[in-house]
This record gives sequence, structure tokens and C-alpha cells, in this order.
Amino acid sequence: MHLASPTEQIWLEEKLQGDAKGLSLAFVMAPRFIAKKPIDVAIDLIPGWKSENGTLDQLIRIYIILHLAEKEDGHSRIETLFDTAEMNELVALYRALPLVKNPEIWLHRATDAVRSNMGPVFDAIAFGNPYASSYFTELAWNQLVLKCIFNDKPIHLIEGLDERANQALANTLADFAHERWAAGRRVPSQVWRLIRHFETESKKQDIQRLAQSADPNDQKAAELLNHHSPLEDWKVLEQAEPIYSA
Amino acid sequence: MCQNPNEHPLNPSHFEGSSEEKQTAHEVEGGFAAYTQGMKFFDPHVHMTSRTTDDYQALADAGVVAIIEPAFWLGQPRTGLASFKDYFASLVGWERFRSSQFGIKHYCTIGLNSREANNEALAEEVMEILPLFLQKEGVVGVGEIGFDDQTAAEEKYYRAQLELAKEMGLPVQVHTPHRDKKKGTERSMSIALEHGLAPNMVVIDHNNEETVKSVLDQGFYAAFTIYPFTKMGNERMVEIVKQYGSERIMVNSAADWGISDPLAIPKTAALMKIKGIAEADIVKVTYQNALDSFAQSGQIKEQDFINGLEIDQSLKFNGNTVLRGGQAPRVDKNSIFIR
Repeated sequence: MHLASPTEQIWLEEKLQGDAKGLSLAFVMAPRFIAKKPIDVAIDLIPGWKSENGTLDQLIRIYIILHLAEKEDGHSRIETLFDTAEMNELVALYRALPLVKNPEIWLHRATDAVRSNMGPVFDAIAFGNPYASSYFTELAWNQLVLKCIFNDKPIHLIEGLDERANQALANTLADFAHERWAAGRRVPSQVWRLIRHFETESKKQDIQRLAQSADPNDQKAAELLNHHSPLEDWKVLEQAEPIYSA
Repeated sequence: MCQNPNEHPLNPSHFEGSSEEKQTAHEVEGGFAAYTQGMKFFDPHVHMTSRTTDDYQALADAGVVAIIEPAFWLGQPRTGLASFKDYFASLVGWERFRSSQFGIKHYCTIGLNSREANNEALAEEVMEILPLFLQKEGVVGVGEIGFDDQTAAEEKYYRAQLELAKEMGLPVQVHTPHRDKKKGTERSMSIALEHGLAPNMVVIDHNNEETVKSVLDQGFYAAFTIYPFTKMGNERMVEIVKQYGSERIMVNSAADWGISDPLAIPKTAALMKIKGIAEADIVKVTYQNALDSFAQSGQIKEQDFINGLEIDQSLKFNGNTVLRGGQAPRVDKNSIFIR
């Protein structure tokens, strides 16, 4: 791992020789020995897993988890790490889930991340991480997308967003937008891309309302829906929301 | 930890300043912030778990940039290990995040408090999980530990935790008892020395006029809790700094579920300024000494909070700050409208 300094590499190699208990402890202690250096290169491990947003200590924690998962009592050790985790540890654990063996056995943990009120923990499962799109049920997936919108986070960072769009989500999103409108609020214009392939009861009226909005982004969304525009055309709305850059 | 204020007489007035100072202090009561403009504060002892978001907002507005939350007695005894585990996890997890939303850097100390040390069966189990938490990022010491009733069980677990601190090279935050305080404080210090801890790695907390001299003379850090009724008042605190200076002295709020004041530090700083204490001494007592003592854990980096939390790259996502989980939006408390 060239990102790490020689001292960091020695520390890691020594820790990787340890047993499950030693690996657990190394996971916890990693930031004491590994720099919080931002990772600015793409590391291609599995499709949809993005390394660019992490730090070196996080990456090494993930690497340690992959080794721990191979140990005989690795599973229960990882459960304990989840139960006792501080925030950065949780982020590393959730980022590691799609990479460990038998990822599907961690589904109960992964859906907990969506329930978390800690921003970085939610982000760890939702963004740059293919776990949810690969293993979540439709219900769990829809909750993830809804919670993302509810918390004013950018849905376009969700891995597998458009592939997993579905009718139930489109219906719920329309209801959600109506609630927001009733409260004098709005949903980010790009949210409407999730209903483009689906018919909802109010689709026609919703498009009309967007077209008449004072917000040029909403007008754009109406135009894209009316023209059945391809996904690429929706990209212009990805960064456009003021709430994303507040 | 607070006791029932009704059991105790109010602090006697130790206000020994001039009548002019007294007048100014009276006038400034509502607007102390004018005296602390641009100052930054570090509260090394505050139990935010027991406080509301309004308090976080007030702390941020008053210039508190970093806090330490010691593990303590929650007001009701815990009956099982799982509730300790979840509490410790919340100190390094949820509470840390909650604090970050207000731009305040949150650290904690982890320990078995003296009251619950008296449940020996449970205490044994808690001791088992302490090392795991003590090695977590942002855990800056073992605390708050020490004596309450000064029982044998309290002593046993105080000693065991001092050993843990020594082993891990962590500072210790020592709670001194409300009752029989002077003896309890002396005993806490001599046991710490007996276990070979360097006095500068030990912060003796909840000092008063009667305990401070011995604590400083023996080389320990002396923390003062500005807390109505049961601990120190800030007028008395000013007199202490006048008498003993600012070396190894720090103030904290220990705000918790009792009648307490999370703004104790900025208010005390304002009072010190009014009463003519040099700014350099105020900085030491309300910021620097807390930072220096607990930074000995290797877990505090001033640059992580001194210019706001925004610069922490590890909390960003593609350089997009909103993804930190969202800075808590400002609410105008004076507006009748809730939107």
C-alpha cells in the first residue's frame, strides 16, 4: 500500500499477523499510528465502491476488517466492534461491508446505518458504497432514498440510485413532495428524476406545478419529464441545489 | 455531580472586590458576552448527555470551541453492563456528532464513576470493557473516577483505573467527594502518587479554597467547577486566581442534570476581566491549561477546532461540507413563529 509511509506499513504488517483479538484492537487503535490523510486516488476494488472520499486511517481500518472477517471468531468480533464503535469506526465498518466475505449477513447492521442520526454514518452506507443497492430489500432501499431527501442530502451520490428506482418509491416521493408543498417547502428538483419511468396518480399535475414554479430548477425538472429526457440530461440539476452547498 | 441544593446553604458571599467592581458586575449580569468578544473557551468537564440543543447553541455563541465529557453517574444507577456499554458508545458516537453540528469539538474521558463502583459485581464487568473504550479516538483520559462515600469498593476501583491510565499513558480526571472533601482530596492524591502517576497527568477536580493549595503544591492540575450551590461560585474563583495565579488552574462547568450552568466558563472569564485579571491568565484558566493537560493523551489537536470544525477534511465528502450531516440550522428563539 503505497499511500502509507514505511513506518505505517510496518505497523500494519505486524498487526495483520495477529489473532482476531489483536486485529480488533488494531482496528480501534489505527488512528494513533496511521495519518488521517485524505485519499485522493481512485482505488478500484469493486464497482461502485469509491475510495476518494476517505482517509488513510479509514482505508487501513477497512483492510483490517477484511482480515478479521476471515478469522474463526471474526464475526462476533466485528459485531462487538459495531456495538462499541465511535463515529469514525462506524464509518469504516460500513464502508467495509460490501468488501467482506458473505456481505449479505450484515444486512441488519447496514439498515441500522440508515436509521442512524449521525450524518457521517448514514453517508457511509448511502454514498460511494454499493452495499445498499446490492443487498437491500425494496422497502429498505426506499427508506434510504427517502431519508436522504428528508435530510436534504444529495441523492445523486447514492450508488445504484437510478437502477433501483421503483414504482413504490415513485408513489411515496410524490406524496412526500405534496406534504412539503403543503408546508411551504420543496424537494430538490433532481428528486423528480426518480419518477421519470413511472406513472403516479398526480404526475400530470405535479409536472404542471413544477413548470409554473418560480424556481428555474423546478422548471427544468418539468421540462425533462415532459420530454422523457435521458438520465444524462438530469445531471445539470445535481449540483444546483442551494441546500446542498449551504 | 450535583446534590439536592436544598440540603445545602447557599455559598457564602466571598465577593471581596471594590464597590466599583461590584457595581460593574451587577450591571453586566445580562450582557457578559460583551466582555468575552473574540475569546475562545475549552470546557474540560461538561455532561452534554444531560443537556439540550439550546445549550449547545449557547455554548457555541459564547465562544466554547471544545469540550470534554467525562463518563459519570446518570442520576439513576445502571443495573447491567449493556447500559454502561451503550453509554460509553454514545459518548464517542452520538454525543460527539451532536456536538459537531454546533461546531464544537467533543472529547470524552471514560471511567467507572465512584458511586457505581459500589456495585461490585457490575463494576467487575465494567472494568472488563474499559480498555476497549479507553483506546478509542478522542478519548482523552480516564474519568471521572475517585471517591464519593470513600468506601473500600470505591478505593479498589479507583486504584484499578489508575493502573489502567498509567498503562495507557492517559491523563486522569479525579472527582473529589462533596462530603469530607479535604480528606477525600488528600487521599485521592496520595493514592495516585502511590501508583506512580506523574502529578501533571492527574487533574484533581471540584477544588475549593480549602483544597487548592495542597493540590498545586504537589504538582497536580487543579480544576474548579463553577456550579451553583454545591461547588464554586465564580466570584470566589476570581479571588482564587488573584491569590494563586493561573499555573495549572482550570475552570469547568460540570453542567449536568442538576441546576448548573453550561456557560460557567465564559461568565467566569467575563468576571475575571471586569475584576482586572490579565487576559493571559484568563486564557490559561479558561482554555490553555485544560488543553495542555488533556492533550497529554495524544488525542487532542488544537488545529482540529481552533478555526471551526469545517476544516476537518475527514468529515468532508468530496469537499462538500453539507454532507458532514448538516450544520444545525439556526433558530431565532425570540420569534413567535416556528417554521
